[in-house]
Amino acid sequence: MSELRETTYLEAIREAMWEEMKTDESVFLLGEDIGEYGGAFKVTAGFLEEFGPERVIDTPISEAAIVGAAIGAAHMGLKPVAEMQFIDFIAPAFDMIVNFAAKSRYRTGIGAGLVIRGPCGGGARAGPFHSQNVESYFANVAGLKMVAPATARDAKGLLRSAIRDPDPVLFFEHKFLYRRIKEDLPVDEEIIVPLGVARIHRPGNDLTIVTYGAMVYKAGDAAERIAGEDGAQVEVIDLRTLRPLDTDSIVDSVRRTGRLLILHEASGFGGFAGEITAPRWLLAY
Amino acid sequence: MSKVDVIMPQMGESIAEGTLTRWLKSVGDAVERDEDLFEISTDKVDADIPSPATGTLAEVLVQEGDTVEVNSVVARIETSGEVGGEAEAPEVAEAAEAAPAVAEQPKAPAAAPAPAVEEPTPEPVAAAAEAEPAEPEAEPEAGDGDGPMTREERLRTKSTPLVRKLAEEHGVKISQITGTGIAGRVTRDDLLAYLESRPAGAAEEAPAATPSAPAPVPGMAVAAPSTGEPGVMRVPIHGATLDIKIPGVTIREGDRVEEMNRVRLRTMEHMLLSKRISAHVTSVTEIDFERVVQLRRKLKGKYADKGVKLTYGPFIMKAVTEGLLAYPILNSTVSGTQIVYRGSINLGIAVSINDGQELIVPVLKNADQLSLMGLASGANELAEKARTKSLDFDDIQGGTFTITNVGVFGNLFGTPIVNQPQVAILGTGVIEKRPVVVQDTMGNDVIGIRHMSYFGLSYDHRVVDGAMAAFFLNKVQDVLENFPDEGV
Amino acid sequence: MTGPDLLKLCRFMHVTRALEERLEVLFKQGHIVGGLYRSLGQEGTAVASAFALQDGDWLAPSIRDMGALFVRGLDPAEMLRQYTARGSSPCAGKDNTTHFTVPELGLVGPISPLGTQLCVLNGVALSFKMRGQEQVCMTYQGEGASRTGASHEGLNFAAVLELPMIVVLEHNRWAFGTRCTSESAVEKWVDVAEAYGVPCAEVDGNDVLQVYDETVRAVARARRGDGMTMIVAETYRMLGHAQHDAQKYVPAEELERWRERDPIARFETYLVESGFAERAELDRMKNDVEKEIAEAAEAVVAEPAPDGEEARTRVYADEALAPPVPWTRRDHVYADLAAFRPTQTRG
Repeated sequence: MSELRETTYLEAIREAMWEEMKTDESVFLLGEDIGEYGGAFKVTAGFLEEFGPERVIDTPISEAAIVGAAIGAAHMGLKPVAEMQFIDFIAPAFDMIVNFAAKSRYRTGIGAGLVIRGPCGGGARAGPFHSQNVESYFANVAGLKMVAPATARDAKGLLRSAIRDPDPVLFFEHKFLYRRIKEDLPVDEEIIVPLGVARIHRPGNDLTIVTYGAMVYKAGDAAERIAGEDGAQVEVIDLRTLRPLDTDSIVDSVRRTGRLLILHEASGFGGFAGEITAPRWLLAY
Repeated sequence: MSKVDVIMPQMGESIAEGTLTRWLKSVGDAVERDEDLFEISTDKVDADIPSPATGTLAEVLVQEGDTVEVNSVVARIETSGEVGGEAEAPEVAEAAEAAPAVAEQPKAPAAAPAPAVEEPTPEPVAAAAEAEPAEPEAEPEAGDGDGPMTREERLRTKSTPLVRKLAEEHGVKISQITGTGIAGRVTRDDLLAYLESRPAGAAEEAPAATPSAPAPVPGMAVAAPSTGEPGVMRVPIHGATLDIKIPGVTIREGDRVEEMNRVRLRTMEHMLLSKRISAHVTSVTEIDFERVVQLRRKLKGKYADKGVKLTYGPFIMKAVTEGLLAYPILNSTVSGTQIVYRGSINLGIAVSINDGQELIVPVLKNADQLSLMGLASGANELAEKARTKSLDFDDIQGGTFTITNVGVFGNLFGTPIVNQPQVAILGTGVIEKRPVVVQDTMGNDVIGIRHMSYFGLSYDHRVVDGAMAAFFLNKVQDVLENFPDEGV
Repeated sequence: MTGPDLLKLCRFMHVTRALEERLEVLFKQGHIVGGLYRSLGQEGTAVASAFALQDGDWLAPSIRDMGALFVRGLDPAEMLRQYTARGSSPCAGKDNTTHFTVPELGLVGPISPLGTQLCVLNGVALSFKMRGQEQVCMTYQGEGASRTGASHEGLNFAAVLELPMIVVLEHNRWAFGTRCTSESAVEKWVDVAEAYGVPCAEVDGNDVLQVYDETVRAVARARRGDGMTMIVAETYRMLGHAQHDAQKYVPAEELERWRERDPIARFETYLVESGFAERAELDRMKNDVEKEIAEAAEAVVAEPAPDGEEARTRVYADEALAPPVPWTRRDHVYADLAAFRPTQTRG
């Protein structure tokens, strides 16, 4: 039994990057205020001292240039992890992500294995440009992968997978969870969570709630309350990865419960829930 | 021996079709690969198109002037050896096969002459269109240089369908314009420059039938393509739609052509508009003017002393205002599905100026509030302004009912066109002595000599029914025949 | 530069022009997929600047810089495959023009939103810097492209991070149908560089030796770790934006003026007058090039178009993740659908 240590969601993200940078010299970080300042949320505090300015690069406020440089570096075999200070600021880099990174392998055969990570989500009293969930903007773009962890363990394990992944991955960290989620994680064990696999957060046979990110906890709380009130058992599926979408897990659960409820934070219209209910893949499986 | 397809290239992402403007080779000619084979013209650009293979031009499938979809096969080249004919872009060949335009035959010159139409008469419409003499530039045979036009002229008349359509809309003959396109072809820019530079009044009649506008087949065109074609009227009929081609006008020797001036253009627009909007009906009544004639004779001098010429007009205007007050529907206008009853009575008085060449309708505002004197002086003033062309914009605005005097030149009565957006117009005929049946003081019917006039009221049947029109006319008649002494 | 190098330079320009002329013929014969964007009149800038690079250096062209690609070792046939979208093309028929990436030759392709390839090339330069390699990067942008947000961010990023980068601003006077004076209020485009705090050289882009000389200086600067240099090449786009553009907005006399400054004709005159080549030799070179290109074109056109199934490949590294084809009807899916209904109800 390995030693356990209480780890926050934020620390889990730090650890993932730290461990990857330790074991793989091609991993490097770039973003705004990530070096000396240590990142707006202090996710990268101490990285500059440990890894030096060549691998922890403070950039101008230029999201397109950040992502562009990440793509070029990825072409050269490096593994860039680009930080968007808030995921809302990914908008200026939209062109680079959608037209360059996502289509690079498809058009030219040369992939762009990079990670773009940043804090998403509301509930932090942060206003309209520091609270958004942007997954739907990118859900339509083939060639991208999207991750939205809810637990510290997943944040760590999924980020390590994302860094190792040969395709561009958007990694949505929920800022509400950064310091609220604390889990005992093994110190010695290498935590790796594969992309594209959902997790049953709470088992049940009466209703399936499909959700991700901070809403996993809302769904869990609701499930407990329902169980207490009338005994019904709600199953909560944490998608963890939005693309590729683990449709098998959803179908399996819904086959058992016969009922499906989808919960997400972002706008409903044109939102990710529509994709989950899309008959296109329901038919395909 | 194999045949290589020659296709209409796509000269831009959005280009869907191209016009083959000129063949540089004839069937049977030897052609080198990459040697220019034909010229095309598209919405965006003109170009010479090189042959895809060396060989003999075996078939020409698209004639000069025809417009076909991109990737349509326009010709076939017979190659002598095993020159990779099969290897020529297979996907293109496939697309070409699917293109319907390939089968399109060149349009026959000047369509088929209409049978047994000896003289071009204005109607029936379709027949006239067909009987129009063929325009010289209408599709000479490809390669035939001996048509009525020289080769150079023929080339100059070549242009894109867009340009031809534009030219037709502006009544310009392509051949009048100096082209700057390939081989002197007329481009859109050339046409626009020409339109901008030409002196006013220089417009020619539009050609009656152009290659791009085939004569309409008289008959029903159910779900026919939308006709943005100039000179074609789309008329819905029971269960179908009829495209009626309004024939162009052929200018004959000795004809004089003159550009309409602005007033004439506006009048044309205004009259056509009214005929399209309103459901016109005309009712006519006959009015005994004896009483008014006597009154006028009595008052003329008095008015003249005040510098006012008293005509029958003010009497009629007075009667009309009485009629409108009694039947306000005649003083209304239609707005969508609503009827707007006008709050004032503003009488439009049609005045002919320039020896009858122009018509203008000054408006006498609030006529119901004016005495006979007021009406007379107001009308005089407006008529004078009209004749001296010093009417203000305000003087011709806001009419709610119009009176037009068709009798001023001696006519019995007229059926005028409603002056939009009004719903009625009164046409007053000549006031003249007529033998009429009257009763003598003993109550016997006798033939008498009276001043009489026919009044024709044209009205918009959308809101004014015949009965209401009759009531109104009767009221006018009643006022005029029993015109009060007082208040004049 | 030696005599043979001068002739090589001349040949690359001929290859560029001959290939573009061949592409124009192919375009009109219906073989080209997408637009054809010619570089007539500005071949000298791309060719001569690329000539200053060395093995291992990287280059990101713009749409009108295919001459630079040939200098970097690209077989002209690859360009023909790109434009005809053959299955054998570097993009496997999925993209066209210069939009391809060949790591072996150090080439990063641009994409249609302009200025973006600079941002990506910055990453390549960054990797050289991180790894302590003495390689440099060079990219191109028309003055129109230099006005995008990506261009600005990219230029600033390269300048601030002192990347080994050469940015050639091809001042060719036209951005599609818009004159350069409507693209920027700066009068002298070298002033743009000042805003980024980097040195800038202004060259006659139609004088290949001047372009070459300045680029050699800029490359040396980048290679010794002194950061980015901009080069503003004064040149002219002698044809419309693409084949659909008849360039009617360009005054004829302006074209005439620039036609006299044609980079190939000027360079050939120089070669003959300086005794580096005989006129006949140059004519023979041109004919040989045109013949080679014509033969290459014939062979490429005969190559097969991409297979339809190719459209679903290379979306992700893991081919199994390719999105399903929605129009493919699979019977088992419908059978499965029948089974897909609630099996439990809660009392």
